[in-house]
Amino acid sequence: MSMSDRVGSAPKKRLKTLEAKAEEAQRTIDELRARDALKTQFLSNVSHDLRTPLAAIITHAEILRDGMLGDLNPKQRDSVSGIVSGGQQLIDMIDEILTYVRSASDQVTLTRTDFDITELVDQVRMLNQALAAKKHLTIERLNGDDLPPVYADRDKVKHVLGNLIGNAIKFTSDGGHVWIGFSRRGRDRDELVVEVGDNGRGIARDHYELVFREFAQVDASPSRPHHGTGLGLAIARNLVELHSGTIWVESELGKGSRFFFTLPLNPPRD
Amino acid sequence: MPTRILIVEDSPLVADAFRVLFTAAGYEVDAATTVADGIERAMSAPVDMMLLDLSLPDGNGLEILKVLRKRGFLPRSTLAMTGHNDSASRRSCLEAGCADVLLKPVPIAELLRQIERHLA
Repeated sequence: MSMSDRVGSAPKKRLKTLEAKAEEAQRTIDELRARDALKTQFLSNVSHDLRTPLAAIITHAEILRDGMLGDLNPKQRDSVSGIVSGGQQLIDMIDEILTYVRSASDQVTLTRTDFDITELVDQVRMLNQALAAKKHLTIERLNGDDLPPVYADRDKVKHVLGNLIGNAIKFTSDGGHVWIGFSRRGRDRDELVVEVGDNGRGIARDHYELVFREFAQVDASPSRPHHGTGLGLAIARNLVELHSGTIWVESELGKGSRFFFTLPLNPPRD
Repeated sequence: MPTRILIVEDSPLVADAFRVLFTAAGYEVDAATTVADGIERAMSAPVDMMLLDLSLPDGNGLEILKVLRKRGFLPRSTLAMTGHNDSASRRSCLEAGCADVLLKPVPIAELLRQIERHLA
C-alpha cells in the first residue's frame, strides 16, 4: 500500500460515514413530512365530518326552539336555545381548525385583486360592532382615506383583520378602546403596515413569539378566562406570510397591545 | 298546488332535519342524496325550490343544474349550500345558475326567509 493511499483512507471513510448519516437524516425528514401531511389530511377530514351531524343537531334544535312543532314553555325554550348556541360555538371552533389546516398546507391559493383596505376595515368593524358594544368598547379607524388600493386576497385579509380585531375585543376590558391605523414603508412606500391596537391587558415580551404559535394561549390553564382554539393568530400569521408579508406584536403588560402586519401596495405587474 | 322543495344533500341526518323543517313550514318535500338521484327527482315533478349541496358522492351538485338546464327541467329557483363560502366557489355557483349561496348551517329563520324571497 502506498503512502498516499494510507493517508487518503481515513478521510474517505469519514466522508462515507457522513454521507450515510445525511441520507439517514433525509429519510427521517421525508418520513416526518409524510406523517405531517397525513395528520393534516386527517384533521381536515375529521373537522369536516364533525360539521355535518352538528349542523343537523343545530337545525333540529332551532325547529324546536322556534316552536315549529308546537309551543314550548319558557324553561324548555331556554334549554333548547342552549343546544343551539353550544352547537354554534362548536361549529365556529371547527371552522377555525379547518381554516388553520388549509392556511398551513400547500394547497391554499391566493386570489389577488386590487381593493380598498379602508372599506374592508370598516366592514370588519361593523361585523364586530355588536361584540364591542356588549363590552362598551369603541373600535375606531384612525386614518387611511388617501391610501392607494392594496393588491391581495380580500377574503384572506378579511380573515386576518377579523382575528386581530376579535382578539383585541376579547382581551380588552369593559370601556376600552380598539383602533386600526395605517402607515407606509419601503423604498417606494410600496408596503402598507396595518396596525390593530388596543388598551387591553397586554402581552409580556417573553410571549411575543408564543402567541403566534398554534394552539397557544398565554394562559392555557383549564380555568383560563378566555377560551378558543388558540389558532386565531397562527392563522393570521400563515395568511400574512402567504402574501410574503410579516406580522408582529408590540405590547406592554397592563397597557395594551399593537399588532402589525404588512401588505403590498402598487405591486409591479406582469 | 303546494310549493315543492327538493333537498339534494348527501347526509341523511341533515336531509331529515330539513324535511322536518319544511314539512312543518307547509312545503311539500322531496330529497335526493346523489347527482343522479337529484336529476331523476327534479324531472319526475316540477320543483319550485332546489336546495343544493355541492359535494355529493357521485360528483359536484352543480352538475345537476347543468343537466336539468339542457333537458329543460330547471327548478324555479335554486339555492346552493356549502360548508365554506369563499368567493371562488360562490362565483361558480352563481355562474351555474344558483340564485344565492348559503353557508351551512343556515339559521332556519334565514333559510325560510331566503326561500320565500326567491319564490316571490
